[in-house]
Parts: sequence; C-alpha cells; structure tokens
Amino acid sequence: MKHLAPEEFVDAAEGRLPVARAGHLETCEACREQVETIAGMLRDVSAADLPEPSPLFWDHFSSRVHAAVAHEEIRARRTWGWTGARILAPLAVMALVVAVVAGSLLPRLVRTPAAPVPAATTADVPSLDTEIGVDPDNVEVWAVLTAAAADMGIDEAHAAGLGVRPTTVDRAVQRLSKDELAELGRLLQSELKRSGD
Amino acid sequence: MVTRTWQWTQTAEPGYKVTVTNPTDAELVESCLAGRREAFDLIVERHRRHVYQLCYRFVGNHEDASDLAQDVFVRAFRALKNFKGRASIGTWLYRIAVNVSLNRVTAKTPRPESLDVLLLASDERVASEAESPAEALLRGERARRVRNAIARLPKKQRTTLVLRVYHELPHEEIAGILGSSVGAVKANFFHALNNLRKLLREDL
Repeated sequence: MKHLAPEEFVDAAEGRLPVARAGHLETCEACREQVETIAGMLRDVSAADLPEPSPLFWDHFSSRVHAAVAHEEIRARRTWGWTGARILAPLAVMALVVAVVAGSLLPRLVRTPAAPVPAATTADVPSLDTEIGVDPDNVEVWAVLTAAAADMGIDEAHAAGLGVRPTTVDRAVQRLSKDELAELGRLLQSELKRSGD
Repeated sequence: MVTRTWQWTQTAEPGYKVTVTNPTDAELVESCLAGRREAFDLIVERHRRHVYQLCYRFVGNHEDASDLAQDVFVRAFRALKNFKGRASIGTWLYRIAVNVSLNRVTAKTPRPESLDVLLLASDERVASEAESPAEALLRGERARRVRNAIARLPKKQRTTLVLRVYHELPHEEIAGILGSSVGAVKANFFHALNNLRKLLREDL
C-alpha cells in the first residue's frame, strides 16, 4: 500500500485520517514514526504562547484605533473634496471655453453659405460687420453648438480658420452677471493653481 | 476578564425602535455602514486581541504588532463597504492582518524577539503554584525559541501554521485566506512542522 501523503500525515496527526488509510499506519512503521513526529511538533508549537500585553494596553489600543479611524474619516472627506475639485474645475473651465468659443463661432457658422447663394438673395445676407446674435434662451441651439464644439480644441478651431475675434471674449465677459464673473474668477484661479502643481 | 453587555436602540422602521443586546458581527457591520461609529468600536473590542496576536506572530515584538493591528482596523474600516459577509468578519480581519503583516515582513527584516518591558510575558509568569520559577523560565525560553523559529519559516508555511495552531482556523478557511486549495494548505502545514523541527535542532 502507498505511504501517506503530506496532507494525510496532517490528518493523521489531527486524528482525522479516514479509516481506509488508517489501516496503512498499523502496518507501516515509517509512516507511524512520521505521524508521531508531526504530532509531537504540534504539541510543542501549541505550547509556545505569546507574551501578554499589560491589561491597560487594550483600552489604550481601542482609543488609538478610534482616533485613527476618526482621522481616516476626515482624510476621506478631504480627499473627496480635493478630488472633486480636481475633476470639476477643469470640466467647468472646459464648459466655459466651449460656451465662449461656440458663442463667437455661431455668427460665422451662420454666415458661411452652405451652397452658392443666388444673386437675388445676396441683398438679404447680412454684412460681415453685422453680428447675428444667438438667442441665449434657445436650449436646442446651445445643445447643437456644445455638441459640435465638444471634440474641438482651440488650436484646431484656429487651424480651421475659426478664430475668435479679439473683441468677442471681452464682450462675452462684459455680458456676464456679477455671480458669473465671480465664478469665472474662481475657476481661472483654481486652474492657475492646478497648472502650477 | 471583564465581559460587557452591549445594548443600543436603533430605528428599524419609521416610528419603530428596536433594542439590540449583544449584536452579532453582521448587525454591527450593518450599523457601521449606517454611520454608527460606536459599532466599529465594538468590532475592534471583539477582535483586537486575535488581530494583535496574529500580527505579533509575524513581527515578533509588541510595538510593531500594535502598529500593525491598528493598521488592520483602519484598513478594515476603509473597506467595510466592500465586506460581502461571505466569511465571518473575524476571518475577513485575519485576511487583512495576514496581508498587512506579510507586507511588513517583506519590507522589513524581522528583528529577533527582544525583551519587552511593556509586556507581562505570560510564558515567563509563574503560571501556577505547581510550577517553580525555574520551570517557568525554561518554558518561557522554549516558547521564545519556537517563536523565533516560526519567524524563519517561508511565508506561506508560517501563515498556515500560525492560523492553524494559534487561531485554530479550519484548513478550509485558511485556504480561503491564502487563496489556495485545502490540500495545498495541509501540505504547507506538514512542511512547516518538519522545517520547524529542523530549525529547532539547528538552534540547539
């Protein structure tokens, strides 16, 4: 019959060897000796208990953990606040840039003829100096503009000849309300700080 | 040892309040997740001793063991929302403790056990009137030698031996903690005991 495998020695030392294999132990002295050695080591190891800390230690330990967990909660909140700011600030700046660029591009897009314009209607085309306004309350127009400009960088827009006229941004800023101006200032400052990291 | 009875009142449904006496670990986890910090304090109180002892078995000194045990609970708090309740919270804490301890042992060569004045070395105490101070000293010395030999075992063998012998975990639970099969755990245990025997002989 085959000798016991390592896991079977453990089972034998712990008194759980299946009866079918226990029969082997009665006939095999080598396996029996090995089981006795393992069982003896188990007894020695079990007897090696640990130094016991002072009874005062446990309350002190609980207080330490309590304080560390409280600190962890504060840290987690701060981390989320900072992470949130890091995620939201660039998004807000991007949204603002998209809005400004879109606002300045719309008049040009509207002015660009899609097909040759019949001579009879040229009189109706506004001159280049005339700015066609976008109804700021028209949600659909803004949705189309935002979607169109979402994947377009400023450099890309410039390369395509879609530049912003020097006065457009100034005018856009002038039209901002007091609260919008304050928010713009805050966003720009946080962007400056972030880029300075 | 002082045994405390814990009792608190919690709102089960709007308008109803339930008094919980000696809540189970699962109830405590639920309360923690509902924002009751005192429930986590109770989890700490219940499991601190075992977690500390497990860490001690790996690092071999009080100072590092208490730091590691604290780290275990902080990590547990952080990860509590991921606790699925498939294993007991005790086993879950053991898993964290094993990972934290093995990382520490890998990063830092374990120092040999030193005399720690903060500890009342139970193995050096006169356990009973039947044991003389000399016998107690001898027993303490033997225990220290075994602990030092365990610290020199390969990581998986050491973990298996510590969890099996000192924390009496079933082989199946150890397999879950180590991510091995039950057969591999038993084989590890067998090799751990054999290697320990060789190390102790060398030490003589």
